[in-house]
Amino acid sequence: MNAFEVGGLNIAKKIKDYYDVIIIGGGPGGITAAIYAVQGGLSPLVIERAIEGGQMNNTETIENWPGFKTISGVELSERMAEHARHFGADSLNSEVTSIDAEGKLKKVILETGKMIEARVLVIATGANPRKLDVPGEGVFSGKGVSYCATCDGHFFSGKHVAVVGGGNSAMAETLYLLKIVRKITIIQDLLKLTGDKMLQDRVKASGKVDFVLGSKVRGIEGDEKVERLLVEKSDTGEQISVDIDGVFVFIGTTPNSSLLRGKVDLNRYGYVLVDSKMETSVPGVYGIGDVVEKEVRQIATAAGDAAVAMHHAILDHFD
Amino acid sequence: MSEKLLDGEIRKQVEEIFGNMRSEVRILFFVDSKRCEFCETIEKLLDELVELTDKISYDKITAGSTEANDHGIEMTPAMIPLTPEGDDKGIRFYGIPSGHEFGTFLKTLVDFSAGAVPEISERSLERLDSIDDPVDIKVFVTTSCPYCPKAVLTAFGFAFASSKITASMVEASEFEELSKKFRVSSVPQVVINSSRSFVGAHPEEEYLTEIMKAVTG
Repeated sequence: MNAFEVGGLNIAKKIKDYYDVIIIGGGPGGITAAIYAVQGGLSPLVIERAIEGGQMNNTETIENWPGFKTISGVELSERMAEHARHFGADSLNSEVTSIDAEGKLKKVILETGKMIEARVLVIATGANPRKLDVPGEGVFSGKGVSYCATCDGHFFSGKHVAVVGGGNSAMAETLYLLKIVRKITIIQDLLKLTGDKMLQDRVKASGKVDFVLGSKVRGIEGDEKVERLLVEKSDTGEQISVDIDGVFVFIGTTPNSSLLRGKVDLNRYGYVLVDSKMETSVPGVYGIGDVVEKEVRQIATAAGDAAVAMHHAILDHFD
Repeated sequence: MSEKLLDGEIRKQVEEIFGNMRSEVRILFFVDSKRCEFCETIEKLLDELVELTDKISYDKITAGSTEANDHGIEMTPAMIPLTPEGDDKGIRFYGIPSGHEFGTFLKTLVDFSAGAVPEISERSLERLDSIDDPVDIKVFVTTSCPYCPKAVLTAFGFAFASSKITASMVEASEFEELSKKFRVSSVPQVVINSSRSFVGAHPEEEYLTEIMKAVTG
C-alpha cells in the first residue's frame, strides 16, 4: 500500500471568471510560474488535467533537483503544489478544450464549458510519451504495452519485460521495474545507452538486465496479450524475436500542443516556438517546459523557463 | 495502538479540505469478517478521518447482509458515500483509497457534502439524460498512477448526473481476480457493463462517447 497523498486536487477554492495569469499545465514549470506570478503581485490559476507535478509523478526518485539529494517524484510534486498553494495560487483539475489567444483578454474554455479569462496565458502543457509506431502497438496497448512503469509495473510482478529506450527515463523506469519484475531486456536503437552514467551503472549492477543494442523494434506480437517483440539489428538487418510478457516504451516525448495548433507558431514536430523571453508568436502567450522547442527537458529547465517567462510577462503586460 | 496511517502534515491538509464540507456525509463501509485483508486498514483510515471532522460518520456493514445486497455489494472492502439526504448516487470505492486515490476519496466526500452535484457540461448532461438502462462503470486503478484520479472522478461525475449509472473505483492490486478477468495490465482501465473497455483518462466528452457506445451496443 502506498502512503496517503492529498494531491494537487483543488477542493477548496471557488474558481473565478478572471485571473491575471492562467497557466495551462501543473508540472514543475507551471507551478514555478504560479509562484513567480504571486510574488509579482498577480493572481494566477493553474489548470491541470491529471495531477499536479505532471510527469514527475511517474518518476520514482529524482536526484537532480537541488535541495533534495533524493526525493520521490510524488513527494516533490506535492511539495511544489503545496508551495504554490501556500502563496495563494489557485489551481483547478480540468481539461482545457480550447483557447482564444487573440486580443488583450485571453479566453480559456474548460471541458465543463466554463470560460475563464486572463491577461496572460502560460502554456506549460508538457509532453506525453512518444509511441513506437510499429504494428501491434495499438492493439496491445493496455494488453502488455505500457508507457508508465509506476502505473502498470504492478501487473508484471515476477515477469520478463522489455524496456525500449536508453535515455534517462528508460534507465530510471528500469530501476523502478527491477524491484517488481524478474528480468528486463533493454532494447535501444543506438549502439550505446545515453542515460546518465550513474543510472546506467545501477542498471548494469542489478544483474537482471540484458541489452539488445543497435536494434529497432519492428513489431509487437502475441495472441490475446503481448508475447514477443520483433527486433531488427540495424547493421545487418537480421530480425530476431524476443519473448517477453510486457513492453515498456520510453523513447522520448511528443508535445501536448494540439490545443495550440493554428493559434501560436509551432515547429514541424508540434513543439511551441518561443523567443528569448519565452513568449510565443502571440503577445501575452508564453510557452515553458517540455512543450517548448529546446534541447534539454528537465525539471530544472522547466522551472528556469517559468522564471524567465513570468519576469517578462510582469514587465510587458502589467502596469 | 499502532502508529497512525495519516501523519501530522497530511492530517493538517485533510482538515483544511474538510473545512469545505457543508452537510454531513455518511459512509456505508462493507466488510467481510472471514476474508478481507484490507478491511482493517480502511476501518483505521475511517476512524482517523472521523477524528478530523464532525461531518463524516460511517456504518460498518457485513457483506451478505440485506443492506449489502440492497446496494449490490458483492465484494469487500467496499465503501458507498451517501448524500446528506441519505441518497446512494451509485458511487463505490473498492479497496483502500491510498496513494493518489486518497485525493479522489477526499474530493468525493466534499462533493457529497454539497449534495453530489455534477460539474459537467450541459451537453454531457443532455447525453446522460438519454440513458434508460443501467450502466456499470468500473475504473481499475493502482494507487501510484497519476492519471487514475481523473478517470475515476469523471466517471463519478456521470453517476452524479444519471441515476442509471453506477461508478466504481477498483484498486487493481486488491482485486486481482477481477483484474485478471478484465485483463487489466494498464491503468486507468475503464470497463463499461463488463463488455466494453478502454485505457486512459479521457476528457469528459470522449469518455462519455465510449459509455454511449456501450449503451447503444
